[in-house]
Amino acid sequence: MARIVVDPITRIEGHLRIEAVVENGVITDAFSSGMMVRGLEIILKGRDPRDAWAFTQRACGVCTTVHALASVRTVEDAIGISVPRNAELIRNIMEAALYVQDHVVHFYHLHALDWVDVVSALSANPQSTAGIAQSISNWPKSSTGYFKDVQKRIKTFVESGQLGIFANGYWGHSAFKLPAEINLLAVAHYLEALEWQKEIVKVHAIFGGKNPHPNYLVGGVPCSINLNEVNAINSERLNHVAKLIKDANTFVNQVYIPDLLAIAGYYKDWGAHGGGLSNYLSYGDFPTNGYNEPTSFKIPRGIILNRDLSQVHPVDTKNADEVREYIKHSWYKYGDGEDAGLHPFEGETEFNYTGPKPPFKNLDTNGKYSWVKTPRWKDKAMEVGPLSRVLIAYASGSTEVQDIVNATLKKLDVPVAALFSTLGRTAARGLETVLIGGWMQGFFDDLVANIKAGDTTTFTQEKWEPSSWPKECEGVGMTEAPRGALAHFIKIKDGIIDNYQLVVPTTWNASPKDPNGQRSSYEEALIGTPVANIDQPLEILRTIHSFDPCLACAVHLYDPEGKHIHEIKVV
Amino acid sequence: MTNILVLGIGNILLGDEGVGVHAVRQLERENLPEHVTCLDGGTGGLILLEPMQNADKVIIIDATLDGGAPGTVRRLQPRFSNDYPKALTAHDIGLKDMLDAFYLTKKIPEVVLFAVTVKNIDEVTLELSAEVEKVLPVILRLVKDELVV
Repeated sequence: MARIVVDPITRIEGHLRIEAVVENGVITDAFSSGMMVRGLEIILKGRDPRDAWAFTQRACGVCTTVHALASVRTVEDAIGISVPRNAELIRNIMEAALYVQDHVVHFYHLHALDWVDVVSALSANPQSTAGIAQSISNWPKSSTGYFKDVQKRIKTFVESGQLGIFANGYWGHSAFKLPAEINLLAVAHYLEALEWQKEIVKVHAIFGGKNPHPNYLVGGVPCSINLNEVNAINSERLNHVAKLIKDANTFVNQVYIPDLLAIAGYYKDWGAHGGGLSNYLSYGDFPTNGYNEPTSFKIPRGIILNRDLSQVHPVDTKNADEVREYIKHSWYKYGDGEDAGLHPFEGETEFNYTGPKPPFKNLDTNGKYSWVKTPRWKDKAMEVGPLSRVLIAYASGSTEVQDIVNATLKKLDVPVAALFSTLGRTAARGLETVLIGGWMQGFFDDLVANIKAGDTTTFTQEKWEPSSWPKECEGVGMTEAPRGALAHFIKIKDGIIDNYQLVVPTTWNASPKDPNGQRSSYEEALIGTPVANIDQPLEILRTIHSFDPCLACAVHLYDPEGKHIHEIKVV
Repeated sequence: MTNILVLGIGNILLGDEGVGVHAVRQLERENLPEHVTCLDGGTGGLILLEPMQNADKVIIIDATLDGGAPGTVRRLQPRFSNDYPKALTAHDIGLKDMLDAFYLTKKIPEVVLFAVTVKNIDEVTLELSAEVEKVLPVILRLVKDELVV
């Protein structure tokens, strides 16, 4: 029996540590630990609720816009503000642009190298790669000369001795199954995606004034619409957005999806690994008729239990019996004791570090072992993220989701059960990118139609002044961040923040066990996963990366050591 | 004309970690030449590739935990990610990967990094430590010397 430690496991934003026990080549137990302390809540207490978005969006450099969005929705929910139609559309466009950028970057820059062997790409025949590229897509950059040039560029970079961005790969691992030619195709698109993502994020600067960390506003969006005004959202800027959306969707449909399917075809066995939990949660998002009408959301809200796709259960985040956070295995203290579960309105953030003094070899996983709290819905563990969203939309009867999912299963020739897996999670992310990209175009068309009809309102002043607010009120701002269900909870008293809690997607997925000993998504998904070579636990990376882990907002302080430790202890 | 981007990096929620952002916010209030742009980069990674590659020269102000005395400012010229000082806190991988991305996408601005040694970060606060607060004027002067082309 061997105990493997991978720390950190993420390529960006925050430190996540996984300890896994391997017996006879299969993982039999796993522990997921966020190694940085959480405490944004402390900074927010006592502040003006209308400013909270500016602080919460600093929790993370990747999903800044969703934290700002969750925050303004929280305040609007608490004090009872409905935003104008144009504000809803602009917020949707900004969020959709984030999704498309984030999912493409996740696929190529954070996850693909778990499946694609960069070094093998150096020995590919560029002519064969060109043949494959032309057979799966109309994307114009597909000539032999193009792939030759890419190969040369990678070679020069690798030969310079500066592996840098590619440094942590397990190149040559027996679990890499792609032919050299497809490895080259994927590496070429890794580079193209670097260039591509520079464009789509401009949508945030156009509507939010700047990037990173665009501006948000309680009651609407902080941009004015005037087709002929230089400093407003004018015809020129709208034309620019139209082009950005069109180009983004072309890349998704002609590069991302064909690559995803081509790569998935060689890894169908991963349709049987990494499934983990059987319960799925989505708060829903992309409202089309106001935040208070979830039935109008493009991504539906709901819960699936035991993988039963015939029934979608309702979710009420304000109900203290539904959403609760536990700290039995987390470095916090609750007034009501170790086994208590608190609804976020009553959430407490008191640190209680009992772990070993770094540097250390192993955590005591019988006791507290993470800075991440453990959220539960009716005391059940839930997976959140693209797979949850796609399954809930599928089970809710969304025909566009059913059509794209069924067509993909057919193309890959895999059973429906393959959805509940590492492969299914990675595929779901790609499929929802296609849909969200299409909706983004729709939101934009609606915005333009509204403006043409004379509606240029982007903000409501009603209830801007704290004097118009109730003396005490509370609200929840729910979103679906690219990584999953995200909610901010606020209590306002006398116009200032009395309590503020964030329950972020990676908290649902990466948390330690609850007081009943139930595992959360990461830990459960690793059970039963084969590990061919314990010195190179590539399989652990595949499953954990399929969740797109981002601990930056789950925990908010940072371990000074950034190096990649990977240790094996035979016990 | 050489376009210069002054990029402040860090997380302002973590005290000294946000020194780069504090510095750039101060700098942009001054009367700067037209070829100079200031950017609060937050903890952004890939999102910063575009503004960085649009500049001919990028001056980064960032926090480091290198074991030195808090408030020490070092001028570095990292070419690849491996040259980036160890133990940069909130964003250690995202930003240094940009340097490699420059080479891979064949657009390579000159990079000057002012690495500010910060105190170990053990609390969530918007305030800078006294040691780091004190060197803000020094950082600003060093950056301004760099703007003369």
